[in-house]
Amino acid sequence: MADTLRLPYCAAGIAAAIGASLLVSDPYVASVVNLVSIAALIAVSLRFVMLIGELNFATAAFVGIGAYTTGSVLTIWDWPFGIAMISGGIAAAAVSVVFGYVTLRTKGPYFLLIGFAFTEAVRIIYSKSMGLGGNSGMVGIFPPIAFDPWMPTFVMSIAALLIFVLYVIEKSDFGKIFTAIRDNEDVARTVGLNILFVKVACFAIASFAAGVAGSLHAVVNNVISPGDFSFLLAAFALAYVKVGGEDNIVGPIVGAILLVVLGSYALGLGGHEHIFYGAAIVLAVLLMPEGVTGLLHKGRDFVMARGKRNAD
Amino acid sequence: MQTESQNSTEPLLKTSGLTRRFGGLIAVNDVDFEIRPREILGLIGPNGAGKSTTFNLISGFYKPSSGSLKILGSDCTGRSSMVISRMGLVRTFQHGSLMPSMTVHENILLGTLHGIRGHAARRKRAEETAEMLGLTSYLAESAGTLPHGIQRLVSIGIAFAARPRLLCLDEPLTGLNQTEVTDTLSMLERIRDDFGCSVLLVEHNMKAVMQVCDRIVVLHHGEVLATGTPTEIRSDQNVINAYLGHRHGN
Repeated sequence: MADTLRLPYCAAGIAAAIGASLLVSDPYVASVVNLVSIAALIAVSLRFVMLIGELNFATAAFVGIGAYTTGSVLTIWDWPFGIAMISGGIAAAAVSVVFGYVTLRTKGPYFLLIGFAFTEAVRIIYSKSMGLGGNSGMVGIFPPIAFDPWMPTFVMSIAALLIFVLYVIEKSDFGKIFTAIRDNEDVARTVGLNILFVKVACFAIASFAAGVAGSLHAVVNNVISPGDFSFLLAAFALAYVKVGGEDNIVGPIVGAILLVVLGSYALGLGGHEHIFYGAAIVLAVLLMPEGVTGLLHKGRDFVMARGKRNAD
Repeated sequence: MQTESQNSTEPLLKTSGLTRRFGGLIAVNDVDFEIRPREILGLIGPNGAGKSTTFNLISGFYKPSSGSLKILGSDCTGRSSMVISRMGLVRTFQHGSLMPSMTVHENILLGTLHGIRGHAARRKRAEETAEMLGLTSYLAESAGTLPHGIQRLVSIGIAFAARPRLLCLDEPLTGLNQTEVTDTLSMLERIRDDFGCSVLLVEHNMKAVMQVCDRIVVLHHGEVLATGTPTEIRSDQNVINAYLGHRHGN
């Protein structure tokens, strides 16, 4: 059955990722690993809302809310690090419940546009709020000094844990309702399911993950500014999802790894990495409409079919 | 039919003066009818007679302009489709009443999610439902790729997995071949007899309606033209004039 959890694969993947992050010593590689982890988490969050059939450009706003919350908690109130991290997720989820309850009655392009407008509005609020550093943003958001050598492992572990939780929810009976809503909302309603509740829950869970991604972004970079959280962030996340493939949760992770590594390499060449994102999206849409993971699946099926033919 | 002697029990569903206007058009006008426990009620009428509107009104997809709707004696006028489905009235749709990207098993499982706790119990209910509909061999297949007749059964499966008191089917026989029609009709009788579930059948296939229904309501121009058993309807002069067509003198 499609709804069984592939726990051995998950455990192996998470162990490999965390193990690899322990080997990182070069600061440049460490920064790329952090970027990849955060990008993967944001992309998985974006795909999670795509399960109910909506493109959530407000993702960028929730990443920002997480980052600014953690930034405020650490630099203004000086609370413990653990609370600062989780408060980013909680703040994003709380705002998303209100935002989602109002806006998830709309669908498709309308929902996308509202998310886009919300992201830009929130960004402008940061830049006008002097308490949050205005246009220049917040500085000095540091994790505890003891964390310094373990930062890639910490970021990778949090991202992996949250991605795993989202995977488990997606595969649960509750998660099946997400796909049902995308496929045929009316039918789901006729068997007594509370569609708006499920949509808001899906949205809030995804926003919690996006908020934590923002918290990680804040403590990794130590500096945040309104410009970090424009709609472009959501556009990049969409590129990770589309390039990697949206059929399963591995897709956005693969997309994030490919594009972030490619982008970092392009930055090293002095080029503009956005060109690479654009080119990758165009190529992905034209050559592999189901993304890299879709292409791998097709390749596997092809090889297996050939093996079968040869055996016959 | 076996269930003619149940008039004493309270109706499952009762409409009084149900009316729905769309601007200047009165799609459904002052419609009174009731559905009793353990009966298959046919709702028939020419295109534009108001069948679909009536269907949408009783399932909560439209709000009535006036009139009332009672389910099991409690007033459900203007309640949402979710509330109405939780009271035991579950409907299907004319077109694409399933989730194409999900497997048949996942589709049917959806019907169990509200009423049953625990994954194992849900699976069991879904498998029982599939077996009853003859869908067991299709459980692992993606619903969207199946033949039309099987898809129709899956959509009934989603609805019936919720074990409704009243199953409302919107033209479930459209596009089925003769064998599939016969199978579906005998399945409806089993749903009524073995599960005590009433069925509201909106259907164009007159032969099937006359064969399977305990009672029939005929709509015409948004109003109830006649109500009665198939025999009564067949000989009702108003119905013959309006719907079955004028009898040619021969």
